[in-house]
Amino acid sequence: MNQLQALWPYVYKYRWRYLLGLLCNTVQIVFTVLVPQVIREIVNEINTRGIIWDDLIGAALKMLGIATVVFVLSFITRVLVLGTAHQVEGDVREAMFHKLLSLDQRFFGEHHTGDLMTRVTNDLSAIRQFFGPGVQQFGAVLMIIFSSALMISTDLTLSLIVLGLLPAVTVLFIVVGARMRDIFRKVQDLFGEVSTRAQENFSGIRTIKAYTQEEPETAEFLRVNERFRAQNVRYVLLSGLLWPVISLVLGIIGSLVLLIGGQKVADGQLTIGDLVLFNSYLAALGWPVVALGWTVDLYQQAVSAAGRIGEVLQRKPHIRDDDGHGAINHTIAGSIAFDNVGVAVGTGHEQRWILRNISFTVTEGQTVAIVGATGGGKTTLVNLLARVQDPSEGTVCVDGIDIRSMSLASLRQGIGYVPQDTFLFSVPVRENVTFGRPDATDAEVEQALHISRLSNDIVQLPAGIDTLVGERGVTLSGGQKQRTAIARAVLRNPAILVLDDALSSVDTHTAAQILEGLRNFRKGRTAIIIAQRIATVRDADLIILLRDGHIAEMGSHETLIGQGGLYTAMYQREMLADEVDNA
Amino acid sequence: MTVYDDEILGKAYDGRLVRRLLGFVWPYKWELTLAILLMVGSALVELVPPYLIRTAIDGPIAQGNVAGVWPIFYLYVVTLVLSFVFRYLQTYMMQSMSQRVIIDIRMAIFRHIQRMSLGFFDRNPVGRLLTRITNDVDALNDFITQGTVALLGDLVRLLFIVMTMLVLSWRLALVAFLMFPIVIISTIIFQRIMRTTYRVMRQRLARINAYLNEQITGVLVTQLFRRETQSRHFFAEISREYLQSQFRSNNTFAVFFPTIYITSVMATAVLLTFGGQLVLNEYVTIGLLVAFIQYTDQAFQPIRQLADRYNTLQSAMASSERVFRVLDTPEDIKDPAQPHHLATPVRGEIAFQNVVFGYNPDEPVLKGVSFTIPAGQAVAVVGATGAGKTSLVSLMARFYDIQQGTITLDGIDIRAITQHTLRQHVGAVPQDPTCFSGTIRDNIRLHDHTIDDARVLWAAEISGAATFIQKLPGTYDYEVRERGSNLSVGQRQLLAFARAMAFNPEVLLILDEATSSVDTETEQVMQVAVQRLLKNRTSLVIAHRLSTIRYVDRILVLHRGKLVEDGTHEELLALNGYYARLYRLQYAEQLGGQSSE
Repeated sequence: MNQLQALWPYVYKYRWRYLLGLLCNTVQIVFTVLVPQVIREIVNEINTRGIIWDDLIGAALKMLGIATVVFVLSFITRVLVLGTAHQVEGDVREAMFHKLLSLDQRFFGEHHTGDLMTRVTNDLSAIRQFFGPGVQQFGAVLMIIFSSALMISTDLTLSLIVLGLLPAVTVLFIVVGARMRDIFRKVQDLFGEVSTRAQENFSGIRTIKAYTQEEPETAEFLRVNERFRAQNVRYVLLSGLLWPVISLVLGIIGSLVLLIGGQKVADGQLTIGDLVLFNSYLAALGWPVVALGWTVDLYQQAVSAAGRIGEVLQRKPHIRDDDGHGAINHTIAGSIAFDNVGVAVGTGHEQRWILRNISFTVTEGQTVAIVGATGGGKTTLVNLLARVQDPSEGTVCVDGIDIRSMSLASLRQGIGYVPQDTFLFSVPVRENVTFGRPDATDAEVEQALHISRLSNDIVQLPAGIDTLVGERGVTLSGGQKQRTAIARAVLRNPAILVLDDALSSVDTHTAAQILEGLRNFRKGRTAIIIAQRIATVRDADLIILLRDGHIAEMGSHETLIGQGGLYTAMYQREMLADEVDNA
Repeated sequence: MTVYDDEILGKAYDGRLVRRLLGFVWPYKWELTLAILLMVGSALVELVPPYLIRTAIDGPIAQGNVAGVWPIFYLYVVTLVLSFVFRYLQTYMMQSMSQRVIIDIRMAIFRHIQRMSLGFFDRNPVGRLLTRITNDVDALNDFITQGTVALLGDLVRLLFIVMTMLVLSWRLALVAFLMFPIVIISTIIFQRIMRTTYRVMRQRLARINAYLNEQITGVLVTQLFRRETQSRHFFAEISREYLQSQFRSNNTFAVFFPTIYITSVMATAVLLTFGGQLVLNEYVTIGLLVAFIQYTDQAFQPIRQLADRYNTLQSAMASSERVFRVLDTPEDIKDPAQPHHLATPVRGEIAFQNVVFGYNPDEPVLKGVSFTIPAGQAVAVVGATGAGKTSLVSLMARFYDIQQGTITLDGIDIRAITQHTLRQHVGAVPQDPTCFSGTIRDNIRLHDHTIDDARVLWAAEISGAATFIQKLPGTYDYEVRERGSNLSVGQRQLLAFARAMAFNPEVLLILDEATSSVDTETEQVMQVAVQRLLKNRTSLVIAHRLSTIRYVDRILVLHRGKLVEDGTHEELLALNGYYARLYRLQYAEQLGGQSSE
């Protein structure tokens, strides 16, 4: 129940609709249980010949009258209770999406996309199932109580048989249902494996063909499929049992009613109409007793789903506007200062510093290059600037203001960031480029495309700049994607431009052209460029060489070369490769 | 936003498709026959209980014979148990058979796809092929389980009930049938509405899922570019559209279920009124009247389900259409009927003669290329992007077929030998190093168990991959995740080299990565690896790095699909032509972009 409490506000909002719906449901059930009573009367009167045509018509009209009331009331119940459950689902879905957009990278690092998707789709639909059909089926309890009362008033022995045995159906459903769910999960896991196998094969087909692995791959795929099938058969053994066995139990109750009731009628203790009445109630109660079991099942699923949903809804973003003092709104000019910054992961003995003792200043308009081997902390360092993550110690200031006291909106407004992993949305190229500046003019877009050397590529796309990107559209090459991301950042006209190894998929010739174009664009702008090769960033005002999370060396190219340290060694190694070629 | 909608809705029955589908079921005809017999048995047994009730009421109960109820009770229980056994066995037989058929179909698709050339994979994105082999095959499962036996079962049940009723009392039967048109019509109307509603719902849900997936993956970009508000508004919009379709579906059900209830009460009322009159006139007994109330109820079920089966059939037809389209794609690269054999040992001499090729035949990428590489020579191919370098390598491995000219290996046209033979001797290291989920060891030898552990170790050692593998937890048993996501690009490249060494082909084709996302240290390890790979082996290297070129014996320069220069590095520099220009340009860039101008 605790887990479901996270969703209480969303349900409480619609309390009147629920209450009205449940009220209608109750009245509807009262009318429903009256129908067998009418049937009994007619049967008895037909049997004793104590009825004429007009009475028969009257009784039929009475039944129709009741059925009409039930029709109307159950329509209202469904619209109110089930419709509201959809509404609750929609509200929670929007709330979850809103929350997801505000969460930081730490959260997304902890949860896979697939996992989060499941929470917003499957888990949410488990919630809807419980607050819709689950709640509606509480009516099954009323149905059972009302019918029981009417049955007992007719004959106690028969009632005891029916009411004593019916719960077996509910228990059967709960027990078999739970076991079915367990096995079904395994079936789904194996299905996932089948699908993963196929996907890996199709994506790696070039390698598979190159090494003539088609036959072994097929054998492997068959093996996974056979395992899936075996598990599926295990599932069918159980699921195929459920409905026949429920019918069997209901049938046996019916046969006992016929035996005992029949003998009582023969003995004169009961009328034929009473026997028909019990048969009618038995038929009417078949579904409610199953529904009761189903509701228990829905409840269990809803509780665990609500736990996972609550985890998202109640999560507080680590990176958010400073709510203590009121975030400062500031238009960024571009000076940067890192003061004794450190970033640690883990706690206690497990703690490890990714970055430590990082201090440097950059004045407005300067270009800073960050170089060093993979794993040195380069990306972490630039991530601190846009507050993709916050430092564990020390401060990062922009224009002399601690960025944690600045509003996220104004900080990020001033930064044009090109991340290492390019991400484009499946919208036309134009929308991707204008992503941060939906109001940009054609001339501005043109210029951004020119700087990122994308203009020539765009002409060759089927619909030019309006070509759709992604699965359903055109697949851009790695280099084209990176250049689109650069155009996107450039178009924002940021005070600070951050390129995190943003030219890795661009061929060296084009890369040089882009850097050239950016050089003019960078004038008067602060730029931070992460590069794998020193040659690309030799002319930076400041070069920081990161090694194992520390600043190993820092200065201009000339200064660093003069020092004859690590940087010089790196540079020489790069040069050497080329000199050999030249020889 | 784009909507993922692969649904084509057409006919619910297409004889041609059904015949082909039944072709897959045919091997299991005996299981199918048994399932049908069980189904008929269970339909027959289900007729008994109402009849027993009639017998009891009109017989012992009416006569006041208390002991006379017992035999009827025993019969009743026997019927129930029989019905249970028939139903359970039939479901089990049917499901386990359809699972076999499904795997046969899935394997047929998989095998067929394995035979396709790379051109097929260029045209069909992985996602689409995956849908064929998962979702579409699933829909076919529904066809077999619900479309064949269950459909037949519904018809048989309905027929049996109608016949029984007519035999027992045609007068009462006609009264009972009065309600059938109402049930049939309301069910059909409901199905019509639901079909479109469901389709809209599915489309809108798919849209939500696609958007959600993209937004979660790219959340950082949205945050950095301050687009949260717009994203939220858009999501609210598509979420509410979905909600509207949910409401529509809910309202339809809210009418339908109570309608079913009211028709069943009406059916009882009609039976009691007119049937009651028949009882009063002594045409039928009271017991028969009670039995008819149950028969009428039993008849409603298959009628309602028949409409449901229609939808299943319709989507199964659409799926099978798509599946057969894949199965009908002809193999565009075929092995010869009588393949030649290569003289052993294979020397590895390759020759291109006047080769013309285009991915699209109207736009040739290679326009008449000829060259010969003697066995053991290492050759680099250079040229600007789009010059046709990658195609050259793909053609040598016969990933595509050429439009004109010939390609030979040891003097034999590669189209005259099987693809298997060719690729055993010609190894290609792809540009984007592929990794599979499995251990490092499995990634090196793939499924080839003739490659023993010693060979794996040796290959890793030679290719320089051993150094990083030693540092991994579990070394050669380290589990590589899907797409090699727990390895760096450099590591994946080294692993691909190790794989090439393990398979040890006479001719090696290498696509050198154009990226610079590998740090200098790894880069050096890779250079050494390439050098070792090329040794004593015919090799064709697509070189992006200048440093690679220094290990080769000869350089081919491609320009706009033509071979423009051919010679050693020194010769080509002396020629002062295209290569010299390209070299100077790249050399300058690798020294630093600023000095290029």
